[in-house]
Order: sequence, then structure tokens, then C-alpha cells
Amino acid sequence: MSRNAWIWLGVAAAALLVIIIVAVSGGDDETTETTVAAETTTTAEETTTTAGETTTTVEGETTTTAAETTTTAAAAEPIRIAIVAPSASNDLAFTQSIVDAVNVIEGEREVAEVAVTDGTFVVDDAAAAIRDYAASGFDLVIAHGSQYGGSLQEIAPDFPETTFAWGTAADTFGLSNVFAYEAASDEGGYVMGVLGAALTETGTIGIVGPVEVGDAKLYVDGYKAGAEANDSGVTVNINYTGSFSDVALASEAAQAHAAAGADIMTGTAQMVVGAVGVAADQGIPWFGTQANQTSLAPEIVVASQVYKWEIVLRQILDDMAAGTLGGSVYVIDLANEGLAIEYNDGFALSAEVKALGDQAIADIIAGAVEPTG
Amino acid sequence: MADVPMLEMKGITKRFPGVLANDNVDFDLYAGEVHTLLGENGAGKSTLMKVLYGLYQADEGEMRLNGEPVTITSPTSAIEHNIGMIHQHFMLVDTLTVAENVALGLHSSRGALTDLDAVSEKIVDLGSQYGLEIDPAATVWQLAVGQKQRVEIIKALYREAQLLILDEPTAVLTPQEVDQLFETLNQMTADGRGLIFISHKLHEVLALSDRITVLRQGRVTGYTTTEGATRASLASMMVGRDVKLAPDKPEVETGSAALEITGLRVIGDRGNVVIDGLDLDVRRGEILGIAGVSGNGQRELAETIAGLRDAEAGSISIAGTDVTNGRPVDVRAAGLAYVPEGRMKDGSIGLFTVAENLLLIDHNSKEFLDAGLLNFDAIRTHSQTLVDEFAVKTPSLDTPVRSLSGGNIQKLILARELSGTPNVLIASQPTRGVDIGAAEYIHKRLVAQRSEDTAILVISEDLDEIFGLSDRIAVMYEGRIMGIVDTSITREEIGLMMAGVTREEAAAG
Amino acid sequence: MSDFFTEAVLIATVAGGIRLAVPLLLAALGETFGQRSGVLNLGVDGIMLLGAFTGYYTVLKTGNVWYGLLAGIAIGIVLGLASSLISVTLQAEQGISGIGVYLFGLGMSDLLFQRLVGTPVPITKFPKIDIPGLSDIPWLGGMFFSHSVVVYLAFLSVPVAMFIINKTNFGMNIRAVGENPEAADSLGVSVSRVRYATVTIGGTLAGAAGAALAIDLGIFQQNLTNAQGFIAIALVYFGAWRPLGVMAGALLYGFVNSLVLQFKTLGIIPQSWSDIAAMAPAIITILALVIVARRFRAPSALTKPFTRGT
Repeated sequence: MSRNAWIWLGVAAAALLVIIIVAVSGGDDETTETTVAAETTTTAEETTTTAGETTTTVEGETTTTAAETTTTAAAAEPIRIAIVAPSASNDLAFTQSIVDAVNVIEGEREVAEVAVTDGTFVVDDAAAAIRDYAASGFDLVIAHGSQYGGSLQEIAPDFPETTFAWGTAADTFGLSNVFAYEAASDEGGYVMGVLGAALTETGTIGIVGPVEVGDAKLYVDGYKAGAEANDSGVTVNINYTGSFSDVALASEAAQAHAAAGADIMTGTAQMVVGAVGVAADQGIPWFGTQANQTSLAPEIVVASQVYKWEIVLRQILDDMAAGTLGGSVYVIDLANEGLAIEYNDGFALSAEVKALGDQAIADIIAGAVEPTG
Repeated sequence: MADVPMLEMKGITKRFPGVLANDNVDFDLYAGEVHTLLGENGAGKSTLMKVLYGLYQADEGEMRLNGEPVTITSPTSAIEHNIGMIHQHFMLVDTLTVAENVALGLHSSRGALTDLDAVSEKIVDLGSQYGLEIDPAATVWQLAVGQKQRVEIIKALYREAQLLILDEPTAVLTPQEVDQLFETLNQMTADGRGLIFISHKLHEVLALSDRITVLRQGRVTGYTTTEGATRASLASMMVGRDVKLAPDKPEVETGSAALEITGLRVIGDRGNVVIDGLDLDVRRGEILGIAGVSGNGQRELAETIAGLRDAEAGSISIAGTDVTNGRPVDVRAAGLAYVPEGRMKDGSIGLFTVAENLLLIDHNSKEFLDAGLLNFDAIRTHSQTLVDEFAVKTPSLDTPVRSLSGGNIQKLILARELSGTPNVLIASQPTRGVDIGAAEYIHKRLVAQRSEDTAILVISEDLDEIFGLSDRIAVMYEGRIMGIVDTSITREEIGLMMAGVTREEAAAG
Repeated sequence: MSDFFTEAVLIATVAGGIRLAVPLLLAALGETFGQRSGVLNLGVDGIMLLGAFTGYYTVLKTGNVWYGLLAGIAIGIVLGLASSLISVTLQAEQGISGIGVYLFGLGMSDLLFQRLVGTPVPITKFPKIDIPGLSDIPWLGGMFFSHSVVVYLAFLSVPVAMFIINKTNFGMNIRAVGENPEAADSLGVSVSRVRYATVTIGGTLAGAAGAALAIDLGIFQQNLTNAQGFIAIALVYFGAWRPLGVMAGALLYGFVNSLVLQFKTLGIIPQSWSDIAAMAPAIITILALVIVARRFRAPSALTKPFTRGT
């Protein structure tokens, strides 16, 4: 074969790849301008979309084009919201929780545009996206990941007119245009720990975590405290795999828990989908958090702690409307209904056990119990 | 001789960008003869043979095999036409066994599986037939150079090559191995094979060939049968003028030993002993030649003397100063000049200009410094003098050295090294890969330096050079001196010593 | 520590190590072919990701795990050919072009997942096969003979790879081309054809590795492989370009991972140390690599494109 022929073959192969890409992204022509957020949401909400922003996820980051061309918010009323988050918008976990919340807000308030950059597990990519959104005139830029704090601290002072929200975190760096938000996920963890301890027969519970920080640590500690509060004899094995993204490792961690005798499991962060699969195979009841995980394993999910970030978003938007662009830390918890325990109707949970859970919720709201005290 | 030549190449022209590598070259070969292709580096011998072997396509001209016009587009088609080539750099896969190297690219009698047992059997047969004994199961990297060459020849014979191209096959062999090779080759011509021999070693060419074609600058400039040809006549055909192959050496009274080495022991790059208890003296006004097959410690010896490599034991002194394990700058201060064997790798900096390279060792001398900064006027004057004196052909002083020819780079290095008045000069492979004209000049300069009372150590694989230059010859084998002899020794004796036989045994045998 | 020496835990540790080794083993075996012929393909992880998504999606749509595995292999072949084109025909710098393939696979698999699936949906997993007789052996049966079918396939491919490399003409050509392509070319062995074949084998096995991973987990997620393709490349060096060595490396990596997880679960490694312990497999593998790499030499022509007549 001559060299030229090879080169033509190369051109043909490249063309084939382009065709594949076009075929995939053009699969639904009328909605190519939909934001990923709106398209992939699982809430029952009507997904109204706002044109002008094309967000395509390639190579783990998002390229934003034509954002400047649509500053329809000249009247200053409808606002533009951007989200930058580390994992996929539909991860049934951390990132999905904020995307769902913004979709709720979209149905309630005058929102001109929502843009999402997801999958930015590389912090530098996230920082670039945050800066791009601020520069293109978004009113609220949500940096949804505790690892983005350093970037935000550098970027926020350059855009004093823009509001930044950083979660999950409890620090605004003393900047007047940064809000911080976090979830008291230990509260829901505590409630589900109480339920788990009531359900276990072997007296062993297994927890799969990512890295021992932030939201994950809060949840895990709360769950352990709840389980031990209900039954001081219960053994809670905790396995932080060291990765937010290693599904295979999370799956093996669940195997390890099973081998150690666990007959109840829970876990947090997006890689737990692997652990849920193992629990489902072995018929081990599972407690979810960050989003409703029932769809992953309808037979074994007992309940999920669901984040309703719209509670803090409403507070932030109210502040913005009043001219305050930052400075506060907002928390979702059971009391303000930012955290909710959603039960799986398909799981036969006895009324007595459920009553224990309800009691725990009431105790926490009343302040009678400190989940991680 | 048969009427129809087995090979005819007519009007072969091959152009490369900016170079006419072959210009209307005619060449032919009859079965049962050795036809030598003679010429300097860059004369176009390799290009012509690569055209024949299908590695290049000729721009013009035609080729006939046994009278039939052929086009050879790849090595595969060359092999199909029963053409074999023994490359100067062995085309062997070091990590494969001998049998695997031979079997490579052939159809196996066992289909997709290798049939190494059958191949090995045939290798042993061919080996005993042509005096090419070799263990088919040996891995190639374990073989000595001469054995590797046997594998190359077996590869060609195995493929039933009738026409064999031998590209400088003797470059790495000892004289005994050369004799053995020639026996094999003679047997092959006796069997009706035709051989094309490429070499620049004139006495070998005369010993082996039936006919000789000389190339210069891409054109055929001479043709002769071996009868009636002499080394001098061949050399002048190669260069285009009369050449002195051995320099005239005036009588010089030798003085004291300027380089003294006792009990030297050096560990090589791979942790093995490469120089083992070596003693050597070189006196002022003499040229001591070190003969030996490369890889027997010559390079390490030169580097150790020059301070580029540490000695584990023993001592080295230059003009009475102990320089054992001294820094290169100290060794030079004691009066050493050093022409290393890798002229591009160690001898010069290719991207630097001619003037900068000439300055490399003198850049701290007061002559070229002005308040600590380089004095460029003085440098240019000095450089121009050296370039003129040593007849270095360069477009300008600012030309990067890597664009000069090998001979001119070597002259440049010599000019730099001899610009002081050295007590000791080490010249390692001073004319390897250098054209005859430049080699002639370099030899003349070395002899002239001998008259200046410098002690000169010449390390060379070229026995002609060793015999032509040396007053005494030391033969090196596996890191030791097998003996020091004068130039009346025969090539056979020296060849035996190069293979590890002591002087006494060599003389006896 | 006494908790560790129970039948259930020891079986889970060994079986877990083997499971974790499988995708690495498949991908590294494939990469071994390419590297033995002189081509470094850094795009393994990208091919694995696309193989994983394709396998996952096929099973999601058809419910048949074998179709899924075949689909993963098919995409592996396509990407293997594309990688050959880039590194052999177009002679791109191998240290860089593979990264392009990786980024393509990473982004493409995620994009396809978002577009075609959206929310992760569990799929049918590979059937687990208890080898009759052997799986009943106490302890050992559970460790070695009660696995999903791809585990057996992956380990069977080790002797197959050894046979191909050492006993066939094709294997001899691979070794020759990786060591001295000029010599192979001078004997009529087509360097580019051999390299196309080996890089495509590499792509095929990488695609299979990805599909095996996704179908064994029963789920897909963005960046599912989590850089296992790069570990596989390191394991080729670790294994000194020999299938058995590569297998040893994959098993070592899998076992250390599994052991660390087991120790964390049982509290043998305190919780406060768990983040550091998570690095143990990588560190141990790198240390072993350093020790091994000193004793073996890479194929001489590795990463060097071949052009005739220079």
C-alpha cells in the first residue's frame, strides 16, 4: 500500500469519527441548545430551557460559547445562574443535588438562563469555568465542591458585581460577594443510622466513604452515631476508599464489608454506585444519601437522605435581591426541610422501625439530640 | 566467465535533495567472481547497493538480472531475486536466537508456528559446508563480532542468495577472521555465486577481487582488473591524484618517557574490568601504535589517561607529573593533547562554530580574555591562523562544525589540540571515516609532531595505519598488552596477538 | 487482626484481588503486544472507557452480557486501528498522541453516556461460574474457582499471549520489529503491518477490559476506569514485557488494593490512616517497578517510528 493510500485512510477514519460525534450530538436537533442541567434532570418539573447557551461536555470539561450574546437580563429582573460541579449532573449523588435544586428555583423565580459545567474533577478546569461564567455576566456562580475554595478566593475579588456561592463549605473568606452553604448531613445520617441499627441481624453495618473530609465525613460520623445510639452493641465498619471516583474500589469495599459480616450498608459520594450493585447482588439493605438512590436498586434501598439546596438558594437569591451579594453561611438541615428522608415504598419497612426514624427526626429538630456531639 | 552477466546496472542515477548520489553509474557482475566497489565515504557505493537491494529506487537507469530487466522495489523483492546483502551494521535482532534471526521473514513449514528445529538443522549443515560453524540456539547478543557476521552470511545463504553484497564486511574483524571470511567467500564464488565487495582497505581489495570499479562523487572514475593494480594506483583513482599512503618518517632521536602508565586497572560502564594491570611507556619523539579489535579497552585507556574516567588502581604520569585520576583540566595542564575517537560526540560541539570549537580548551587563557570577558578579535585572529595552517576547509569561522565533512572536523580538532606544545598526544582512530586526502594530511601532521619531541599514542583498528605510523606497536586484548613489537612483525603474528595469543606463542605458531 | 484470619474474609481478600486485577490484566496484556513491537500506546485508558461505555450500553439495550463484551471488543478494534494509524502511519510522537486518544475516550464516553443514558441504570452482570468440583474445595474454591466468567477468560489469555509471542512466526516478528525494525525490514517482514496488528490487539484487549469492568460492576459512570489504563501501562514495564510478569504485576496491584480495603474495613488500618493507605498499592507497585526495571531492558525500538532506508 502506498503512503498516500494510508494517509487517505487516515483522513477517512478521522471523518468517520467526526460523523460519530455529529450523529451523537445531533441526535436531538431541536434541543441542542438545551443545557445539560435541564435535559438530564430527574425531577418531575417542566424543564423549560433557555436558548443562547450551548454546553457540551467533552473531555471532562465544558466549553461555553456564545454566552455573551444573550444578555437578555438588561431589565435586571431575570437572573442568570451558573453551576460548576465535579461529577456528572446525573450522578444520583453530589452534583445532581445542586442541579435539581437550581431546576426547582427555575420554576419559582424569574431565571433567564441556567448553565452547567459538570465533570470538572480537575480543579484548574473548574477555576477556568468559574472565571468564564463570571466574566460573561452571570449573576450567581455556584462553585459546588469544597475543593474549589482556593480558586474562588482568587477569582471572586475580580468580579465584585457577581455573587459566588461555594459549597459545601462554612467559610466565605471574609469576601462580601461569596456565600457559603453546607448540609448538616450528619442529621440525616443519624436518622438512617438509627434505622440501620434497628434492621441489622448480624449486628454489623458497613459504610463506604470516599475521603475522610467535608460532607462525606459528616454523613458517615452521623450514621455511626445514630446506629450506636440505637444499639450500643452494633459494630460499624467504616471504609474510606480514598477516591471519589473509583467505582471498582467502592464495589470491592462493599465486598469486604459483606465478608466482615455486614448485613446493612450505606455509603456516600458518586462512586458508591459500585457498592450499591454489590449490596443488591447480596440482598443487603442500603441507605442512600445526597440524592434518592432507589432507582439504582429498587429492592434493597431502604431510604435516602435527599438534599434540597433550593432552601439555601432561596435565601441567597433573597439576599441578592436586597442588594447583599455575599457574606453569609447557609445550612440545610432537617429543621428547615433542606434535608429530607425519602423512603422507598418498595422496601417493606415495619411501622415500628419507621417510628424510630420519625422520633429521631423530631429529637434532632427539637435539639434533644446532637447527631455528632 | 559466462557470457551473460548475472547483474547489469546501466546508467543508474539517484538524486537526493541537493546531492547527486549516483550519476549515470554502470556496474556489472558475473557469476563466480568478486567485483569490488571502491570509493571514499560519500562516493555513492552504499547508495548504488541500496538501489540494487530495493531500499532506494533509482531515478534513472535500468537493471538486468541474467539478462532480464527487473525492478526491485523492496528487500523482499531483492530476496526473491536471490540477492542477499551483508550490511556494514549488522541487521540482527540481538534478543533473538541465531535460528530465529535466520527464520525471520521466511515461511514456516509448520504454518503459523515457528519451525526453529528444522531451521537449526539447516544452519548447522550450511555452517559445516562453508566453515561458518555457529550454535543456532545462541542468543545473538552473546556472540562475538565475527560470529555475528557468520549469522549474516548464513541468513543470505539460507535464502539461496546467488548474488551477495558485502558492505565493508571486514571493518570489525581481526586479520585471522578476515582470512577465514575470505576462505568462505572464495568457496561461495567457486559454487557459482557472484559477490560485490565494498571496502576501502586496499590490500583486502587486492587480495579478494577479480575486478574493481572505483566511484568518486557519485561517478565511476576508474575500472581495472585486479591484475596490474596496486594500492597506490587504486588510491589515486579514489582521490583523483597521486597519494602517499604511508608518510615519510624522518629519523628522530627518542627521548625520555613522557607518558608512563603502571599497573592500570579500570572498571567499565557495565561494572566489568576493562583494563587489567596495564603497563605502558611512550617516549618523546616516538609514535606508539595500539593495535587491537575495538572493544578491548582502547577507548577506556584513552579516556582514563585524559581524566575522563577513574582508574581503580595503578598510576599515570605525564612528563613526570602524576595525573592519576586528575581532572581533565589538570591533565591538560600537564601537557596532554587528546583527539578522541568520537569526533562529533566527544571531540567537538556540533552546534558551535569553527571559532568556538577551536577555543574550547583555551577559553581561560589570558590571551583571549579581556577583563574576564572573551576578546573576540584575538580569538578570530587565532582561529584564522589555525584554520589556514591545518588547511581546514570551511565556508567561514562562523560555520557550525556539524556541517563540515568528517575529515575537516578531524583536522579542526587536531589544530586545536596541537595549538599548544603538548608533551603527549593521544590520537584515537584519527582517520576513521575520513577521506584519503585528509587522512594523508593527518598522518603528515602526526609525524611532524613526532619531530617536535611529542610522545604520541595512536589507537587504531586500521592495521595499515598502525604499520605506516608507528615506531613500536602494542597489541591490546581484553584490557591487557599482549606484547610490544616493532614494525617488522608480520600481519599474521599481530593478528594472532589481537586474538589473545602472546608474542612468544604467535612467533612460534 | 484475628478478624482477618477467618474463612470469609480471606476468601474475600483473595477473590477481591483477582477481580480487581482482571481489567488491568487484559489491558496490560494488550499493551504488551504493542510495546514488544515498539509502539507505546498511552491511549489505553481512553479505549477502555469507550469499551466500558459501549459494553454497558449494549447490555442495557439487549440484556445480553456477551453482546456487551463483543461490542466493547469491536470498539476496541476500531480505536486500535485508529491508534495504529496515528502512531505507525502518521508517525506521531507516541508520548503525546496516546494522551489525545485517552482524552477522546474520556470525553466521548462521558458525552455518549449523558446523551444516551443520563442517570446510571444498573445492568445485568456477567454470570458467576462455580467450576464443578474445584469450587467446593474449602477456602481455595471460594478464592479461585467461584468467579465471573471473564475472570477465567482473562487468566486464560495469559498462556495464549505467551504462546503467540514465543512460539509463532507472528510472535517472532513482533519481537524482531520491536528490537531492530531495520533488520526485520531487510528480511521482508513488514514493520508497519506487524505494528498495526499489535496495536490493534492492544486496542481489542483494552476494549474488552473496559467492557469487562463495566459489565462486572453492572454500572457505568463518568471516568469509570479511574486511570486503570495508565496503571496497565506501568504494569507492562513492571512485567518486563512478559505476559507472566504482567500477570504477576496485575495480581500484586489487585491484592494490595484488596488487602488494604479489608484492613480498613476491619479497622486494622485505623480510620485516620485510610487516606494514606489508599496510596499503598500505587507506591508498592512503583517500588517494585523500580526494582524490576533495573534488571530488564525495554524493547530497543520502543516509541521509535520506523522509516526505511535511513
